[in-house]
Amino acid sequence: MGDPHPLSSAHLTAAASSAREHRGPTNERLAASDPSTSFAKRPRVAAEPSDSGGCVPCVEADVRALVSVSGGIYPLARAGALRGLTAVLEKVDTSSCVSAAITDCCYKCAVELMRDDDNGVRLAVVRLVDACARNISARLDFDANGYGDLMDMIFLQLSSMARDMCTQVRMEAFAALGKMQRVSEGVLLQSLEKKVMKTDRMGVSIINGQKLPPKLKIPCAAGIFSHGVEDEFYEVRRTACKSLGALAKFSTQYTEKALDLLMDMMNDDTEAVRLQALEALFSMATYGCLSVQEKHMHMFLGLLVDANVLIRDAARKIFGLVNMPKLQIFKSAVDGLVTSLEKYPEEEDIYGIMFSIGKNHGSFSANIAKHLAKEITMASDGELILDKPRVKALLIVSISAPFSDDKHKQLGIPSIIFSYAIPLLEKISCALGEVDQDSLLSYLYHKGGMPFWENRSVSAEFGESESCNVETVKIGAHIENTAKEAKCLDEVLVMKSILEIVEGVWTMRMSCNVCEVRTIFRTCKEELRLLAENSSGSIGALLSFLSEYLDAILFIVEIWQLIQLDKPYTCGLTSLDILLERLDMSVRRMKYCYIGLNRVLEVQVLELSLIAHLCRLSKIAVCSKVVLGKVLWVINRLEDLCADGSCELSDFSGEIKKACDTNRIGDNLIGNINNLFQLFHLKPTTDFGMLKVISAMLRVCDNDSENPLQYICGLPVGVSFKISLWNISGHHRLWLRMTIGESVQHTFLEFSRFEGNDEVMSGSMVVPLYATPKTCSFVLRVCLVMECPSAGISTHQGGHGGPSDCVVQLSDELNVYFVSASQW
Amino acid sequence: MAIECLVLGAGQEVGKSCVVVTIGGKRVMFDCGMHMGYHDDRHYPDFARALAAWGAPDFTTAISCVVITHFHMDHIGALPYFTEVCGYHGPIYMTYPTKALAPFMLEDYRKVTMGQRGEEKQYSYEDILRCMKKVTPMDLKQTVQVDKDLVIRAYYAGHVIGAAMIYAKVGDAAMVYTGDYNMTPDRHLGAAQIDRLKLDVLITESTYAKSIRDSKPAREREFLKAVHKCVSGGGKVLIPTFALGRAQELCMLLDDYWERMGLKVPIYFSAGLTIQANVYYKMLIGWTSQKIKDSHTVHNPFDFKHVCHFERSFINNPGPCVLFATPGMITGGFSLEAFKKWAPSEKNLVTLPGYCVSGTIGHKLMCGKPTRVDYEDTHIDVRCQIHQLAFSPHTDSKGIMDLTEFLSPKNVILVHGEKPQMAFLKERIESELGMPCYYPGNNESVSIPTTQNLKMSATERFITGCAVEQGKRSLHKRNLIYGTGLSEEIGSDEAAGEGVLLMQKHKSPKILCEDELLEVLGMGRHLVQFEPMVSRIVAAVESELQRAKAADLDNDGK
Repeated sequence: MGDPHPLSSAHLTAAASSAREHRGPTNERLAASDPSTSFAKRPRVAAEPSDSGGCVPCVEADVRALVSVSGGIYPLARAGALRGLTAVLEKVDTSSCVSAAITDCCYKCAVELMRDDDNGVRLAVVRLVDACARNISARLDFDANGYGDLMDMIFLQLSSMARDMCTQVRMEAFAALGKMQRVSEGVLLQSLEKKVMKTDRMGVSIINGQKLPPKLKIPCAAGIFSHGVEDEFYEVRRTACKSLGALAKFSTQYTEKALDLLMDMMNDDTEAVRLQALEALFSMATYGCLSVQEKHMHMFLGLLVDANVLIRDAARKIFGLVNMPKLQIFKSAVDGLVTSLEKYPEEEDIYGIMFSIGKNHGSFSANIAKHLAKEITMASDGELILDKPRVKALLIVSISAPFSDDKHKQLGIPSIIFSYAIPLLEKISCALGEVDQDSLLSYLYHKGGMPFWENRSVSAEFGESESCNVETVKIGAHIENTAKEAKCLDEVLVMKSILEIVEGVWTMRMSCNVCEVRTIFRTCKEELRLLAENSSGSIGALLSFLSEYLDAILFIVEIWQLIQLDKPYTCGLTSLDILLERLDMSVRRMKYCYIGLNRVLEVQVLELSLIAHLCRLSKIAVCSKVVLGKVLWVINRLEDLCADGSCELSDFSGEIKKACDTNRIGDNLIGNINNLFQLFHLKPTTDFGMLKVISAMLRVCDNDSENPLQYICGLPVGVSFKISLWNISGHHRLWLRMTIGESVQHTFLEFSRFEGNDEVMSGSMVVPLYATPKTCSFVLRVCLVMECPSAGISTHQGGHGGPSDCVVQLSDELNVYFVSASQW
Repeated sequence: MAIECLVLGAGQEVGKSCVVVTIGGKRVMFDCGMHMGYHDDRHYPDFARALAAWGAPDFTTAISCVVITHFHMDHIGALPYFTEVCGYHGPIYMTYPTKALAPFMLEDYRKVTMGQRGEEKQYSYEDILRCMKKVTPMDLKQTVQVDKDLVIRAYYAGHVIGAAMIYAKVGDAAMVYTGDYNMTPDRHLGAAQIDRLKLDVLITESTYAKSIRDSKPAREREFLKAVHKCVSGGGKVLIPTFALGRAQELCMLLDDYWERMGLKVPIYFSAGLTIQANVYYKMLIGWTSQKIKDSHTVHNPFDFKHVCHFERSFINNPGPCVLFATPGMITGGFSLEAFKKWAPSEKNLVTLPGYCVSGTIGHKLMCGKPTRVDYEDTHIDVRCQIHQLAFSPHTDSKGIMDLTEFLSPKNVILVHGEKPQMAFLKERIESELGMPCYYPGNNESVSIPTTQNLKMSATERFITGCAVEQGKRSLHKRNLIYGTGLSEEIGSDEAAGEGVLLMQKHKSPKILCEDELLEVLGMGRHLVQFEPMVSRIVAAVESELQRAKAADLDNDGK
């Protein structure tokens, strides 16, 4: 011992010399410095001359400095120092001999500050004591040095901190209690009971031969977990429940008492606390410590039918692990699970829990199996239905008995149980998890006493079944493909047939009356409509186009008949005018509402247009510059289409061209109408191309004659439309036409904001209706129209707010109902 | 100077709480209650006797201020009498909720006892209103400067809404009067909360000085089970309560249970008093527990779904129901009327609060189960079931011990309890916590010595010197840790610093280093030498120098 002494003296001398040297010249500067800073500097100065290397002196210096600061007058400094000590403890190797001294030093420092005035300091104290406890319990010589009493003391001190007035301190203290290890059973049991237990050992606890200080006696820590579970703040209650579960693995007697506290928490008004309590119970069950008593069953069974799905799930998991000492408790649990299954049939993991319960209690399962077998045997045909949840559950419990640990016992499960369990193969395999279905099936057949299956190979049987299924699938696929092809063929044939019929009708138009023609055409249209219902895309568009074509032909036939009957030079609006207008509309729709018309189809449409114009000329019986202009435009267009030589002008078109060239006035044209009609022929074609139909749909939500929109007379009203557009592109100009009686308002439709692609677009739009009539109610007729581009001759004056030329209607006309607000 | 505690009420009894504390020359009255078990001179504290003992002409000059802890009758019931009949016109302090709810409590009790014989010194409703106008409300943790020296502060006490523990400080003397408090939170109120304070005396209630209760969830389960059993059997449940506090707690518990169980049995509140009081609860949501504060933004926790208004004619209706009626100890009013009607039936259930004052019907029912009760001139047959509630808003003995330990005052005074239990608690406090404890009776006083702190300054050189000494000791301890291991000396960093205390006339005391003394006093330094000793001094110096040189050589060698 002679060597350390001179070293120590030298250090002291050096420190003293250093102090003396600094006292004179730097007296003022030293006096002005902060005392804490002065404390922190001393150890570093002294450490510099030290010869020993490594980090040990640094750790020592840190500990010394922090311990000094923890005695300071500023709460924040004290708290910071304690946090620093906690960090040092976490780094120190617990196997080192120095760490023991450091831990003890830190622990004593923490004990002194347990009654500090500042909440932050006390919070840091709890964390530091927690770190000390972990270091002490990790020591290799724990038992030899008698640290058990010290751990008990630390537990009691943390318990007293758990009664702090600060919520954070309480929460940290309960968390620290949950991490404690190697605490004696007596101390643990006292933490559950507020009344002090009378034991000699507890009354005379000592540390290092000294009696405990009065303030740290057991009473302050008694029943600390009872206080925890009844705390005001749910965070503290939750932490207390968690710690209760963590400490359960140390003592069976402790677990039994902790169970009472945790079961009462099922009535807590915070879901987080209830879930944590269930988690703690699950933790107890996994350690095999949880043994349910009869007094807890009512609460447990209530949890199985709780409204909260998380609560139910947690409760079932606990049931799967829990130990039930009595048959009555076991039966109650099974009944509870059956009730839960009946109430929530979609939660089929209950079957897994049933299997676990049965497996863990083999003898009880055998008891249930025997009663169930009797019930099955005594039941007449049809009386016992296997699809009842209760029967399914009981069957699963019964067959779980052979899987229990009581295999050495002859449980004597009746064979009828296994026979009835075979239909539940899927549920049973899900419950078991790891067992193969084939093996399980073989096992059930064997147990069921069916010798027939013993001589057959299950895999072979399964192979045969699989092969048969494959064939069925193939046949089904083939049939489906055939049906699709047949469907396409039907459509093509029907269309060709219709065109042939139309051609025949046109040829025989003179010998047939209008009624016969109308009947034939209506039948053809009906056929097309039926086909269109099941078609889409190009076929659908073609069918729609053909239907429009038939309408046009029908109009022409009717007009011709009327022309023959009527006298020339008739004035006024007549049915002929209506038919002419409808023919014009039909032709325009064919011309502008279909994308992808090939050359042949376009030529036919243009010829129909010529027919329409000739009919109008015949009606008027005088030359009309407007109509003549349109005729010339169509002729020019036809010539352009035939310029490349792929087709020639028909006789009909050629004759009209001659008449126009010969006489600009058109007198010849009028005189030769009858001849021209003779030249017109329908040409059936099989080249349909790829058509797309342009259409739109208009809708106003929640509006009909019984649910009108409100408006104020004379003021504008906004109408919200939902609009869907098909095959509309950017260059199309759409208008919303709103009609009230004779009044018409057009609103341009800006659909660039609509969502979708070129094929389908949809969106909503609020359109103001400006001129509302002064009446109590009215009906607004709305439809979407599209401008017909480049007609050549404009018949409207520009600048009056509507479409610049003739239009074609895209959507059905929609009725929007209004009622005056004063009516309500 | 000592702290003088004169107990005018609730000394070795429960009722008419009133403690007058003389601290630092200031006289503070804590609580001014009445005793509901008596209707004679014992009804109020003996103010006249106290006034004579103080030798003051009137109460206003004798008392610096009155502080009321909460709105229960045994803590506030005598206040209108004290102000309007006895003539006190000084400051009166209580919390905002207490001031808001006190008029209802006072008026309710006044109506109930209006017909009592012997009520000669009663106050009127106008007296109550005039009294309330003199009250200054205070908030939690709000420091109120009553006058130049007296400071008071309120802390959360639990118990009932608005209940507060009062901290009073004059100069260096400090004390806390708890009133009634609860260390266990309710569903609608939190637990008592207070800072760590340096106190000369703690005056605490000791209602349950000997009781330790089970955990609250267990008590809740037992109560719900008893009520459910009664109503499912077609019986009626009478729950006598004070209108505020207990009724809300039990109603919250029952309403939640009714919701989970899907019960349709009606729950009634008698009269409009409690329903009107619920409005105040909604206004004072900040004083309730964490759960209430968290949930009140999405759902009003005091809008009970299953609670409806009660008509007096319903008392004879058949079928099960639950009725909350006042007052709590069945001392009169509607609870007594309902009790007379329902007590004879075996199906019915009466729940009693945890504590009933002697002389009340509730107290008689708790002392065993009588078959008939005589009250004034009425004989009541009692065949109904009786369930004693375990939901007392008072703390139990463990709570008292825990709070006392947390505050660690120098002295403890017990009030608001019964004498044998107080004696038991006194022994525990003195043996386990190691602090003097007293439990005076009514009209007795206790004198407590106070701390006398002397302020003084210290010179910079003295502080610096202490710091240097501290550093040296740290070095020494470090070596001990490194070389020899654990030492008990490590645990204590506190050490005495050496200095000189200088006290001069007309100046504050000062601590300074020994070297500074001459400078401060302005005296010169005198050096005395004796000629015959010079040679010996020189020899000693030379010897020391040689020794130092030898030490240096040894160091160089290492």
